[in-house]
Order: sequence, then C-alpha cells, then structure tokens
Amino acid sequence: MIFAAAAVAAASVAAPGSAQVTGDRALGQYLSSECVTCHQLTGKQQPGIPAIDGKPAASLVEQLNAYRTKQRPNEVMQNIAARLSSDDIAALAVYFSSLKPRN
Amino acid sequence: MTTNRRQFIGGAGAIAAASSFPMPAIAQAKAKVVVIGGGPGGATVAKYVAKDGGVDVTLVEPARRFTTCFHSNLYLGGFRSFGSITHSYDKIAKAYGITHARQLAAAIDRDKKTVRLAGGRVLPYDRLVVAPGIDIKFDSVPGYSEEASKRMPHAWQAGPQTRLLRRQLLALKDGATIVMVAPPNPYRCPPGPYERVSMMAHVLKARGHKKSKIIVLDPKPNFSKQGLFVEGWQKHYPGMVEWQDPKMHGGIKGVDAKTMTVKTDLAEYKANLVNVIPAQMAGKIARDAGLANQSGFCAIRPESMKSTVDANIYVLGDASIAGDMPKSGFSANSQAKVVAMMVRGEVAGGRTFPARYSNTCWSLIETDDTVKVGGAYEAKDGKIAATSTFISKTGEDAALRKKTQEENMAWYAGITADIWT
Repeated sequence: MIFAAAAVAAASVAAPGSAQVTGDRALGQYLSSECVTCHQLTGKQQPGIPAIDGKPAASLVEQLNAYRTKQRPNEVMQNIAARLSSDDIAALAVYFSSLKPRN
Repeated sequence: MTTNRRQFIGGAGAIAAASSFPMPAIAQAKAKVVVIGGGPGGATVAKYVAKDGGVDVTLVEPARRFTTCFHSNLYLGGFRSFGSITHSYDKIAKAYGITHARQLAAAIDRDKKTVRLAGGRVLPYDRLVVAPGIDIKFDSVPGYSEEASKRMPHAWQAGPQTRLLRRQLLALKDGATIVMVAPPNPYRCPPGPYERVSMMAHVLKARGHKKSKIIVLDPKPNFSKQGLFVEGWQKHYPGMVEWQDPKMHGGIKGVDAKTMTVKTDLAEYKANLVNVIPAQMAGKIARDAGLANQSGFCAIRPESMKSTVDANIYVLGDASIAGDMPKSGFSANSQAKVVAMMVRGEVAGGRTFPARYSNTCWSLIETDDTVKVGGAYEAKDGKIAATSTFISKTGEDAALRKKTQEENMAWYAGITADIWT
C-alpha cells in the first residue's frame, strides 16, 4: 500500500529564483533508471559526464529542453531527450533535484 | 465431465487468486524472484528488483567476480588494467539483500517453477529471469573447437581468453601476421571485432612494428561503424589492416590450430596469431529450457522482455531477440530496468510504465579517437523498434573525438557503478 500512496502523489520542488516544477516523482524514478547508466549518483563532477543529482529542478528542465530541441550538442543526450514529453522532463527534474548527493 | 457456469467462474476466480501475490499487509512469504546469470543484464535486474524491498531475490552466478566484455578491448590495447574491468558481487549482495547462489544453474523446471543448481539444491520461483548471455558455436568455423581456442582464442567471453589473447599479441615480433575470423550476425557487440582490430593495431604500432599485418576475414558484406573504422585504420595504421568481405575471400573454409593456418576459398594464411570469433547462440540453460527458437536465441514480448513461451519467465540481454537493439552490455542494462519494473509490478504491486529502451556503443580506434553509435527503442509492431538513432561522423575534429573518449570512460564508470554497487 505504501507503494501506491507514494506513486500517486505528485511532488513539487521549488527552484530558487524560478517557478515551481511539478512532476510525478515515481515516473521520474523509473525514467531516471535510463540516466543512471551513465550519470553516477555521487553528486561529484567528473570528466566526460556531469553529475545531475541534487541539481535545481528548473535548471534540469532547461537543460533537457535544450537537448530535446537540439540547441545543446551531444547526440546521446539529444537522442534520449527526443522522446521525453514535458511531463517526463518535469518528473525527471523533480526526482533528480530531490536526491541529496551521496558524498 | 461437464463444466457449468458456476464452476467455471469458481475456477477462474481460483486461478486469479493463486496468481495474485500477497500484499505486505497480509504478511505472507515474500515473492521469490530467481535471476540466472550475473552479467550486465542479470545483475542489474537483481539489484533493481531487490532495492525497493519486499521481494526475495536470488542471483544464480558461479563467479565471485565478473569481467566485463565491454572495455575488454581496451585491456587488450593497454588502455585499462584487467582489474579495472572486473567487479565483485559483494556490494550489491550486501546493500540490497540479494542472495548470491554461487553455482551454475543446471536445469529449469517450468512446470514446477523451480531452478536446480549444479550442486543439487532446488530453488522455487514466482518469477524467473534468464540472462545467461551467449554460448560460442565452436563448430560454426570448420576445425575450430574449445580445445583449439587455447591456441586460437575467441576472447568473446571476457576472462582467461582475453588475457591469453593479450599475451599472444604482446609476444609478436615485427613482420607478424594476425588473422581475425569475424563472426556472422547476430552476435554480441556489433562494433567489437573492429574495435579489437584497432586495439591490436595500436599495440603493434606502439611497439614499433613496421611490417606486421592484420587480416580480417569477414562472413559479412559490411559491418558496424564501417566508414568510421576504415577511416581510422587508414589514418592511424596505414597499410596494416586488410579487411576482406566474402567476395574477396570466397568463403572461410576452416582453421587448423596445430599449424596455425586459416583457409579461405582463395587463399591459405599461415598466421602468428589467430583470433576466431565464431557464431553465437543463447546460453545453454535458456536453450535447454525450451526458451530459444530455431535461431538459437529467445523470443520475447517487446513491451516487457517476457518470454513468448512462458509467462513466468523473462529473458534479456544477449540471449534474447531484442529487435533493433544490438547485443551489448548497455542494451542488457537498459532491458534489465524494464524487466525489474515489470517483475515488481507483478509480484510487489509496483507501478509500471511503458517500456523504453536505449543503447550507446563507444569504440576506441586510437588514443583519444573514439566514435559512438546509439539509439532509443520502444515496443512497436510486435518488436523492439528504434525510434531514433545516431552515429559519429567521418572527419570529426580531434577535440570532439577526445571528448567522446572521455564520455566513453565516464560511461564505463557509470554503468559498472549502476550494476555492481
């Protein structure tokens, strides 16, 4: 029952200096499984692939939209973002921004 | 015997009750999920099913540590240590409460829903995940055998074979002939043989070879990232690599490990190193359980990776027929997340979403010169179909290629952390 309750609740995150991002955190968690193949959940910057956990939701939305519209280069990210809906992006942003970097 | 309406409804109800799993509130035994195979597919499923709790997960895998096929070419080329491509199961077993049964799975009894281990122990399951990877079809190349692979390594399952191939490569003197017998489709890691050619050429070049040659005898008329590899070979290793398609060699007739010769319809090569990569099939346990079709691989439902022949079994990774997805560690890891979600949906009341898959394969051609190919995939028209794809372009500048190599190394760190921590 815990699963169902957590799953249905949509979470929202207030990003500093910007509008609130509202999204389905459970959907974000599932979609995030694709991201964490490459992005480690350490919160640490490393060469090649940046950390995305614990970043502000509004910033994540902005970056993913830039990949989706191919304004930001990198074919791997453009390819992944191409099929994300605005709801998917909001869900991912809410999920990743809610994580506390592990270190 | 006749069945009246009342009995029929009763029967259907009974079946429904038996197949729906007790929710935590009823406090009955946890659902049992058994995963066969601890590669990037199986280990990822085990972790993702176990990490949210409420399910009893057993990973059946004889090895204590796993050496990845991906980046094993980088070990061959001297870009990575063997230790850096080898990963222990201890962390995920401990962190997520996975039982690691360190034995080979001997047989699956689909009627009784049990797996028998080589030592005789029988594990019951509610859902079974089969991720055994590939078996090598030794007899697909005349004269080749498991015994012959001790002199002519395939090195297509990472481990002792990979180290043997590296030792043989390092022992070569200038003027050596390397012959690679490339595999027919479908096989694990489509760009892998050609990245391997690049890594062998890198080692020869770095060791000052001027006259050594690498001859690739290919049963296919073309191969993955061909334009990118051919461009890279000409740029970095001019005159060293000779790739022959079936029109050029006329057919691969066989190998002789004693004399170290490879025969084609048109020539006979006496070689100092022979790397035979034969045809492949799903691991034995999957074939023995009747999960594979005539192709030697296992048909699955594209929306879930569930076996088309058994609703209690999922098959993923290289053993499965995954439509447009290549057989790769990345693909297996991606499929594993769909499987884990679907399994939790069935046995733990987890929420499920439409399956999405993705893959990227990076290939190192020479130091700081890396290319990539990838795609996004979904269930469509009865198969896993590509919804979009991309590939590096010929003539890209050095800065971009270097950045792609940094991405490649970071991806390896990321995916192995995702699977084994």
